[in-house]
Amino acid sequence: MRLPVGAAALGWCAAVFLARPVSARPPPDSLRLTLVAPESVRVGQRVPLVLRLTNVTDRPIEAHFLGREIAFDIVVAQPDGAVVWRRLARAVVPGILQVKVLGPGETVELKDAWRQRTDTGAPAAPGEYVVWGVLPTDAPEPLRTPPAHLRVLPP
Amino acid sequence: MDRNTLTVRTLAAAVALAGAGCRDASSPPLSPTAPTAAASPTGIAQAVQAPDLATLARVIPGFGGFYLDAGVPTVYLLDPAARGPAERALGAYAAARGVTRAEIRVLQAQYDYRDLDRWFQRISDEAFSTPGVVYTDLDEAANRVAVGVEHAAAAASVRGLAARLGIPAAAVIVRETEPIHFVLTLRDMVRPVVGGLQIRFSNFLCSLSFNAARAGISGFVTASHCSDKQGAVDGTLYYQPLDQVTAEFIGTEIADPSFFRNSQGCPHGRKCRRSDANFSQGASGVAFTLGGIAQTTGANNGSLDIAGSFTITAEAAGNATVGQTLDKVGRTTGWTEGTVTNSCVNVGVSGSNIVLLCQDIVQNTVQIVGAGDSGSPVFFISGGSTVTLHGTLWGGNSSGTLLVYSPIANIEQELGSLATH
Repeated sequence: MRLPVGAAALGWCAAVFLARPVSARPPPDSLRLTLVAPESVRVGQRVPLVLRLTNVTDRPIEAHFLGREIAFDIVVAQPDGAVVWRRLARAVVPGILQVKVLGPGETVELKDAWRQRTDTGAPAAPGEYVVWGVLPTDAPEPLRTPPAHLRVLPP
Repeated sequence: MDRNTLTVRTLAAAVALAGAGCRDASSPPLSPTAPTAAASPTGIAQAVQAPDLATLARVIPGFGGFYLDAGVPTVYLLDPAARGPAERALGAYAAARGVTRAEIRVLQAQYDYRDLDRWFQRISDEAFSTPGVVYTDLDEAANRVAVGVEHAAAAASVRGLAARLGIPAAAVIVRETEPIHFVLTLRDMVRPVVGGLQIRFSNFLCSLSFNAARAGISGFVTASHCSDKQGAVDGTLYYQPLDQVTAEFIGTEIADPSFFRNSQGCPHGRKCRRSDANFSQGASGVAFTLGGIAQTTGANNGSLDIAGSFTITAEAAGNATVGQTLDKVGRTTGWTEGTVTNSCVNVGVSGSNIVLLCQDIVQNTVQIVGAGDSGSPVFFISGGSTVTLHGTLWGGNSSGTLLVYSPIANIEQELGSLATH
């Protein structure tokens, strides 16, 4: 599967905790969360999706993640917002907080694929979809990517 | 307020909260005369810093105190007409603030600053033996010694003390004030150790569930997955709250039962336990409060500030009842509560082949669990701050509106009998 460079790589500068990871307000724009997704795929085809969290600063940054294996969510929705598939739908994730230091420019990649099934297991129909990534941390709001647009083409 | 060169002053019983304790409504802010390094890294503030009060008391005859009144340099003098020395001592400082020497305000002092300082020192040495004394202050904005007290009885005691010490009654202002407490959060170092606090092992953060004694050994329970290896005794070292240093070391894992397969209702191809909980022996020299759980300012309000404590007085006999309200305290989302929606359900753990048998689920429409809340004590508030312990939180959904916990009965089935209160 082709992953078009720059086509659907959408960035979102996110917040993190520095040093003592307990109370300091996060500096803005220290981490960038991006979603890499193809622009279009054929119906029934596996859709590779990659979340990338990058330390965009020139110093080590302490990032916080949910889970011993980093938990991340991917949401596929119709253009009207109706959710078609959610990676962590109905999943119960251990509530452990992982502290990981990212060096300057270091990126963590989180990969999965949408098998073009809805949350009920039915095949997704051809058409336009909106996709975004969600990365839970211990902040009140998780990190999110801006939505990417995905076209599922007829056979 | 920079008077430390004259004498070292203890401002309040809660020394760390001195800023709140020593200033009153009429006092100037701390920053103009006592800029901190953090507030003035460039030295700009240093350029406008006033001479310290000890120096002023030495060079200005009849000096009674100095402060900023709405930004205007203001000085107390026993003889207001003799303002020349004050203008010379404070002229540069005033000019830096855009105030001419003539505009320096002079007020009639009743007391010499050096007398006030002596009285202040005298009453400070004695006052904190009086119950209800909150702070002592040489209030340079009032040209008086000020003592903050919690109640009228303390006020009377302080006035009596001042008289015994030979301090003129008119030179002492006694103010009733709120007691001052340290504001600690669930993520701070808290001793004695109680449930709900942040703990660390390796590069992970969780919450301490509850203190307990197991087979005569004192320690605490947290989630089993909050250890180096879930389902195995690995000697995980725990620290509270954060730094992996001796001063924060609180215990070592000594019990974490193995998973079982193909028996006791464990689904085929999966490994199971009935609880996600382990037990750690408390470190020697560390105080633990049996039955204590940190209490924040309110349920579902997002606060992590510790405002008191819950006390475990009983343990739930089994699973919760659907529809029952349960609460939890954890380092990420604090004190939250929701409604039991599922009782005794087998729950598959995302990203693993683990199934935890007969767990309870609590839900709400708002976030009640987050990353780092694993281990949180789950309890029922039976009245006031007394609670019935229900179990140990170990997981939730990605949006944080659903939490799963292991019932205390399951925990004791696996860890053995625990004394929790």
